[in-house]
Amino acid sequence: MSRFNAARGLSRASGGISTFLSHRAGVAGAAILVVAALVAVIAPLLIPADALDVTRVTAAPWQAPGVEYWLGTDHTGRSVALLVVQGAGTSLFVGLTAALLAVGIGTLVGIVSGHFGGLVAGALLRVTDFFLVLPALVLAIALSTVLPRGLGTIVLAIGLTSWPSTARMVRAQTLTIEARPFVERARALGGGHGHVIGRHVLPSVVPLVLVNATLAVATAIVAESTLAFLGLGDPTRISWGAMLHQAQLHGAVPQRAWWFLLPPGVAIVVVVLAFTLVGRALEAVVTPKR
Amino acid sequence: MRLAGRLGGAALSLVMVAVLGFFLFRVVPGDPVVSMTRGRPTTAAMQAELRAQFGLDRPLLSQFWGYFTSLLQGDLGTSFTFRRPVADVILERLGPTLLLVGTSTLIAVGLGLWLGVRAAWRRDSAFDKATTGVALTLWAVPTFWLGMLLMMVTGDLFPSRGMRDTDTAPDFVSQALDVGHHLVLPSITLVAVVCAEYMLVMRSSLLEEMHAPYLTTARAKGLRDDLVRRRHAVPNAVLPAITLVFLRFGLVVAGAITTETVFSWPGLGLLFYDALTGPDYFLLQGLLVCTAGAVVVMNLLAELLYGVLDPRVKVV
Amino acid sequence: MLEISDLSVHYGHKRVVSDVNLRLAPGQTLGLAGESGSGKSTVAMSVLRLLPRSARVDGEILLDGDDVRTMSWGRLRAVRWASASIVFQGAMHSLNPVQRVGDQIAEPMRLHGTKGNVRDLLEQVELPQEKARSYPHELSGGQQQRVMIAMALACGPRLVIADEPTTALDVVVQAQVLKVLKRLVAEQDLGLLMISHDLSVLAETCDDLAVMHRGELVERGRTREVIANPQHPHTAALTAAFPVIGDPAHRWAQPETTEPRTTEEPLLAVHELTVDYGRTRAVDGVDLTVGRGEIVALVGQSGSGKTTLARTIMGLRKPSSGRVIFDGAEVPRNGKALKAFRRQVQLVLQDPASALNPRHKVLDAVAEGLRVHGIPDGIPDGEESLVTAAVERAELRPASLYLESLPHELSGGQQQRVVIAGALVLQPRLLVADEPVASLDASVRGEIVALLLRLRRELGLASLIITHDLGLAWQIADRVAVMHQGKIVEQGSVEQVLLNPSHDYTRALLRAAPNLGPDLGPQV
Repeated sequence: MSRFNAARGLSRASGGISTFLSHRAGVAGAAILVVAALVAVIAPLLIPADALDVTRVTAAPWQAPGVEYWLGTDHTGRSVALLVVQGAGTSLFVGLTAALLAVGIGTLVGIVSGHFGGLVAGALLRVTDFFLVLPALVLAIALSTVLPRGLGTIVLAIGLTSWPSTARMVRAQTLTIEARPFVERARALGGGHGHVIGRHVLPSVVPLVLVNATLAVATAIVAESTLAFLGLGDPTRISWGAMLHQAQLHGAVPQRAWWFLLPPGVAIVVVVLAFTLVGRALEAVVTPKR
Repeated sequence: MRLAGRLGGAALSLVMVAVLGFFLFRVVPGDPVVSMTRGRPTTAAMQAELRAQFGLDRPLLSQFWGYFTSLLQGDLGTSFTFRRPVADVILERLGPTLLLVGTSTLIAVGLGLWLGVRAAWRRDSAFDKATTGVALTLWAVPTFWLGMLLMMVTGDLFPSRGMRDTDTAPDFVSQALDVGHHLVLPSITLVAVVCAEYMLVMRSSLLEEMHAPYLTTARAKGLRDDLVRRRHAVPNAVLPAITLVFLRFGLVVAGAITTETVFSWPGLGLLFYDALTGPDYFLLQGLLVCTAGAVVVMNLLAELLYGVLDPRVKVV
Repeated sequence: MLEISDLSVHYGHKRVVSDVNLRLAPGQTLGLAGESGSGKSTVAMSVLRLLPRSARVDGEILLDGDDVRTMSWGRLRAVRWASASIVFQGAMHSLNPVQRVGDQIAEPMRLHGTKGNVRDLLEQVELPQEKARSYPHELSGGQQQRVMIAMALACGPRLVIADEPTTALDVVVQAQVLKVLKRLVAEQDLGLLMISHDLSVLAETCDDLAVMHRGELVERGRTREVIANPQHPHTAALTAAFPVIGDPAHRWAQPETTEPRTTEEPLLAVHELTVDYGRTRAVDGVDLTVGRGEIVALVGQSGSGKTTLARTIMGLRKPSSGRVIFDGAEVPRNGKALKAFRRQVQLVLQDPASALNPRHKVLDAVAEGLRVHGIPDGIPDGEESLVTAAVERAELRPASLYLESLPHELSGGQQQRVVIAGALVLQPRLLVADEPVASLDASVRGEIVALLLRLRRELGLASLIITHDLGLAWQIADRVAVMHQGKIVEQGSVEQVLLNPSHDYTRALLRAAPNLGPDLGPQV
């Protein structure tokens, strides 16, 4: 009997996986993300420090792509290819941690304001709606202007400003679940707040939060690149946005230095698109078609 | 919800905007005056004057009261870099931004909603797949990068800096043509990014309605497919889409900052960039309060408009 | 007029309708009965070719001699609504929510160039003229359904298909809507194809009856004959689900238990209970008792306050005033004592599919109460043995076959048994059941009723059954309390209240209640 049951559990799990696999775009996105993550982890170990040190590079600046530097060099003579590879880490790190922060805050606020009634919930809802309307990126820009430059600031600025949509969604889902008869049944059985949240609300919120987090990473990476482009990034780190900041600052456009402009931008688009595609495929797994 | 409730909510939001603007620039670790004057030749007297202007020598509550009362009178303080009242500087730059954002939003909304309807109605068709793919890609594109790319690709075809040339004839027609010429690239940039969002919103909104039973009723009545869509599906689906369009107005604002920065378009976005590179806290505070306030007001308008359009919502 | 031959419908490899043959002459009324998933709605939709593209339709559907299946799109659009129209199920969603109903009624007339006006149509369905300017959400359920009927008649079709036209309506409103529909069909000599899961509705409206089961037509004949003398076992099961009030054969509760036990203190006593929702008074000074081992039916229309009363008894809402006394002690309002009380009183909800968390296995659903309250000491294998016992008590045998299932893998009847098992596992003394059989298929209904009665016999379990269905009260209860606008207007033994009502409202309910009794049938 237990083997029969185990088989049943396995087939349920594989049902979700096969739904995901049927979304080819999602699979492609996942593959891209695996490659990007590997690059981000391995690259810093392989790239010699000299190659990225402005004071020690030997190549000429603004070199077009060629045999030696196949993506050319930047305004200081560093290899653009190496810069892009090196920048992956920063973008992914900021994207993931900021999304984690935002989704964490959002989930907490959403469940609290959805489950508990009363003044606290009302106030939380009010604050959520307020921040939902405000332009998150503008707030993030303001925050990172007043705080000292650094990786932590960027993460904080993006995380603290992009939680409301998650909170909104989690709250809606919490309310939906709490309106279901099975929650009433749980209450009638004598279950308290902890029981209802832990056994019924959280398990149904988690899959949606996961989808939301994947999409939040995409937004956070774009936000990071925008902050870095505006010169608000960590000046000691290489990131794709910071490269574009340099490109703008040193006139890559008028010089037609396409090799300095294209690679970091394409990298952002590809990674962000990959997260989006994975998120949409996960969404399809989580919410079955009617 | 009642009209009074809506207005009260919006008023409360505006107060919250003011509070936010105040505290955002009081959480600065260290002395804001020092960080503002860093790298500039300043005397102790100038710093003291600045400190007095911020009111940093007074208790927090009294600081806030002073800030709040002058805000109500339209006084946003004095810009450190421009040495003029912040309100004046902002008003001066409002026109170009309204022109850019207004043009782009109109085009983006029209195009986005139309594409969204087309894509959703023929779900999984080649058209749907192509437009959704393009929209998702555009959604992943940072606005500023798209601007830079456009600039590089078009070369000298369109002017890429500022809003008008200095040597244009002073008559109205030449001036308007010149501004229009300058407007092309920035507005394409803004439209491309924002339109993708609107298209996706409209598409999913219509997809939600696609299985509604009243569409079966309409078909059973003998309506042609395009009439079912035009008369029944779209009027229902466009309502939630409109709310979302207004809710995403913040996106346009954020897009305007980077677009104006890339193209040196002399509007509020470029002013924002100037304020943050300063940094000029008074200017930044003023800009933040103004844009956030504008977004709150836009949202109120959206709710009122929704009440007029959707008979199920009673606003008055 | 309508001739369906060898109709089969497939979705992919799944066959939902197989080899159905139906004929309908002008002026004829035909009822198509069946449970959910029997394919009856699919048949209706295929008549106007309204099935989704993924459906494969074989056979012949002749409408006035033309095959709908092979018609050109232009011809099909011309036929739709002008030759045959549909009164859809669930008017709320079948009307466009943002268009005035007058415009929606007028739309097909403009489209097909029919003469006539909205005013006359509204008059025919007994709706005031002003309603033409209303939006659907401003109308009541009955008014919406009348709008649907007016709309269906707009182009003067000769065939009207009514797909569950009164489901989700109250018994009284349902009776009114059926009356309007019946009158119009008779006056205008229309053909009517009416689809319903409710035999009593069809019995009242249609001369002929066809019964579908798993996509096949299993029986067909004159309505009276089919109901009086069902040939197919499925038809018999369907008719059995509609107890005839007054028929001793349908009175399942055992007579000896109906004796009032006045000597004993009641298990549950409600005194002067009042509950307010904001300014509206949902429950207004109610007195009610449930004796030990007694089954009491609380009967009323939706909105009568019966559900609120039940929730308040369970301690799920706070009363404005009044007292609830359980086993001699007042029901605590909160804290540990409330939790302990909840162990003794269990809730069974209407729709088992939504009363079970779709992510929880049967084992977890049944054990939920145990996990909240803790397992009594001294039971070997605590949870598992208790759960197994409860599941088998609810007649899911062997339990091991079901414990690992998810709710959606079970049928509606099995799901309701799981809910009941989840209540039994705590060994309660009172069951509060809110419409326990209303959303179950007719053939399963009897089994659940029998189960509730057996639990009372074997465990002495008392029940408070909340229902709109007088037939259920007749079948199962010892006593009946009738609730109307927050007040109990009449209570007493089942025989006394249902056979000899003293209050006008009870009489109105009894009149409106659909009945399959021998004296009823189509009254044209």
